[in-house]
Amino acid sequence: MRYLLFVPLTLFVALAQVAAVPYFPLLGVTANPLLVLLMCWAIVRGPRETMVLIPVAGIFKDLITSDPVGASVLALLPVVPLAAIRERWPTESDFLPTLAVVAVASLCYYLLYMMVLTAVGDGPPWLQSPMRVILPAALFNALLTPIFYLPVRWATTLSEMVRPRMRVAG
Amino acid sequence: MRTLVWLLVVGLVALVAIVLSQLGALDPLKNGALTVASPLERGLRSAASPAADFLDNTTNRQDLEEENRLLRQQIEELTAEIASLKESQLTAADLAGLAEVEKGRPDDRFLVARVIARDPSNLKERLAIDRGSSDGVAEGMVVMSQGQSLVGVISKVLDDFAWVTLITDPNSNVNAMVLESRAQGVVSGSLHGGLSMDLIPQDAKVEPGNTVATSSLGGNFPQALLIGQVAAVQGESQDVFKKAEVEPAASLSRLENVLVLTSFVATRLTSP
Repeated sequence: MRYLLFVPLTLFVALAQVAAVPYFPLLGVTANPLLVLLMCWAIVRGPRETMVLIPVAGIFKDLITSDPVGASVLALLPVVPLAAIRERWPTESDFLPTLAVVAVASLCYYLLYMMVLTAVGDGPPWLQSPMRVILPAALFNALLTPIFYLPVRWATTLSEMVRPRMRVAG
Repeated sequence: MRTLVWLLVVGLVALVAIVLSQLGALDPLKNGALTVASPLERGLRSAASPAADFLDNTTNRQDLEEENRLLRQQIEELTAEIASLKESQLTAADLAGLAEVEKGRPDDRFLVARVIARDPSNLKERLAIDRGSSDGVAEGMVVMSQGQSLVGVISKVLDDFAWVTLITDPNSNVNAMVLESRAQGVVSGSLHGGLSMDLIPQDAKVEPGNTVATSSLGGNFPQALLIGQVAAVQGESQDVFKKAEVEPAASLSRLENVLVLTSFVATRLTSP
């Protein structure tokens, strides 16, 4: 349950995504750091913890944007099954597969998000979106992955090193 | 199995929340969240702004940046003035009854609002402002830049905040005209924040540098509100309509304050 201490971190990332990230576009799009953080979290620490973080962070983001509440939660859902699938095929290094999974998660995110927007009558142009938004955003998110992957990996390794000592001491 | 149950439950809850959100039942919650988050957002924006400027102009120094900003503002103001003057000239000559419109907007009432956030989705061009229904803001109100060119329309109002759909939003359509030739068309937004003017009659004379302003057709916007300038014209002689790329007059990506035109009420036209 100690991971719940990181809920404020995910909320801060969601806030930064709305307040600051739109000012740093690349390839004409902005990144989705919340998605990247949750995907890295799910791969490094397992999908179980993200089952709690996704609804909390998704609802918070929707509350402070013009999106209908629940849109981001729906769009973030694929993070959990993607991490579960990734767990079944372990590789020597997690990093490169994480890049690929983040890119796939980005594609899923935008597809679901566009479906929600279309359903509520705010749909984007579907034909233009894949080349102009979805693929560049997936690439941008993949490029952003090391910024989140490495700290999550180090924090996890550190906590695993500390835990046995605490047990011995206790 | 647990993943599947989680997906079903959370997915269902999200769908219910979307429906409630569309019905406006969660608006007080949104207003509360924005009230709490807006000071933090403002802080983050202020912190990010210098870095964003630096990345934008890695070779420029701070004074050049400031000078550029002032010059852009002056250009926008002067272009808006020219648009208003052109409109005044043409209208005075052709339609004396519209002369009142071009004398400026002395009777209009504006509300200054601060931009607190931008939609981060890449698929929408929206801004959040720190004024809402408690300040008299209503859906459909026109939003202008400080240089008095068109920024967008209020699309969602909460008690203390509102969302502005920019003219560059993919779902935005504004009836417009080219002031020099009086050619009518529809200015639409697109992904990546571009503007284009469609449905321009093939025989209309439109050239790069021409001024594009609102036409008041449809009753959603006041007449002769500056939108931008024609950057390029597309269309072959066999096409029914021409299309023009329009450069927005307002610097929409870096707006900090906007004006909400509270005295203009959009006309809701019904079929006869």
